[in-house]
Amino acid sequence: MAETVVKLRLNQQQLELIDRTIAQGVAPDRVALVRLALHEYAAARKAEVHKSGMEQAQ
Amino acid sequence: MTGRQIISELVMEPGTGKAIELLKGQVLRIEQVEGGQCADFNCFNLHDYKEFMHCGRTRTVHGFHPTTGTFMWSAPPRERAMLYILEDTVGRNDVLFPRCSAYVYEAAYGFAVHTNCHDIQAEAQREYGLTPDDVHDSFNLFMCTGVDDDGHAFMTRQTTKPGDYVDLLALMDVLAVPNVCGADVMKTSNFALKPLKLTVFAATDADLAQVPKTPMLASQRTPKDFRNPTIKTDRPLRRDPAYKPEFPNTPIVVTDLAVSLSPEELAMFNAVKRSDIYGEDDAAALRDLLFSWWEERFLQAHAGAPSIEST
Repeated sequence: MAETVVKLRLNQQQLELIDRTIAQGVAPDRVALVRLALHEYAAARKAEVHKSGMEQAQ
Repeated sequence: MTGRQIISELVMEPGTGKAIELLKGQVLRIEQVEGGQCADFNCFNLHDYKEFMHCGRTRTVHGFHPTTGTFMWSAPPRERAMLYILEDTVGRNDVLFPRCSAYVYEAAYGFAVHTNCHDIQAEAQREYGLTPDDVHDSFNLFMCTGVDDDGHAFMTRQTTKPGDYVDLLALMDVLAVPNVCGADVMKTSNFALKPLKLTVFAATDADLAQVPKTPMLASQRTPKDFRNPTIKTDRPLRRDPAYKPEFPNTPIVVTDLAVSLSPEELAMFNAVKRSDIYGEDDAAALRDLLFSWWEERFLQAHAGAPSIEST
């Protein structure tokens, strides 16, 4: 299936923070950092939902 | 606390306050004599009164009820730790409420004249040449407050006993100004005005060792960094015809960053994106996700507060 392109609009301060984060070795480039953020953010939410479900079941 | 040398002692009578030169490394103890008395508190850099304690920054860093182990911070752009709460035998202070004022007692109670924290502070600060306009938002010691379900701050009675105290360690030379809160027709001090005892001690090495290190950052600016370091000495405001704005990081320039999402990533995004806020604007939703993730992963301090390094 085709990829979907989302065009983020970021100002120079936001880009500075992103670039400093990349410089720490977190991701190789800006796009990779956004992808990493998506994967980790979604995984954290999935874990929260799972934890909440486990607690309700107890 | 053991082995502290007493430098001075004083009892503040009801209706009064006292400006005290508290030097770096000295401790001010504010102590209940009879119990049940609120103390309002102002604090200035002794060598530059334009640096003063900021309740807004303090409550952002330490919450609505700062107690043992927290700092009183100065206002931006200084944002330095001025005082450290070494010990607090009660643990119930307030940085939500403003000082009570003559207006409150006239408007709500009909008093032509009534003891009030603003005027008491102003009178105490006058000893050092300050004016009523220099009184700043008050750190309210021993004041029992909270926030109700509707988001309104409330105050209630306190349970302090004789001998309860708060110890404030000066991290710089300050003018510390406590006063006996003037409210006797409110719950603040359990409907009575009582004296408070003040003691200044020299801090011990053990006291000083308790203080966590705070960061020294370039953004903590002083008058040497100001474009206009001169304190204005007249009252009217007049436009400076030579003024040219120099706002930092302007103009704000926006750049596009195209991110290709695979079908799996798109599904992942659709499952977590904040459509409730951004609707169909996926670009804004992804930007939100990016910086929300960044905060979760990298932000050390609460709500953008200055981080405090542990010792």
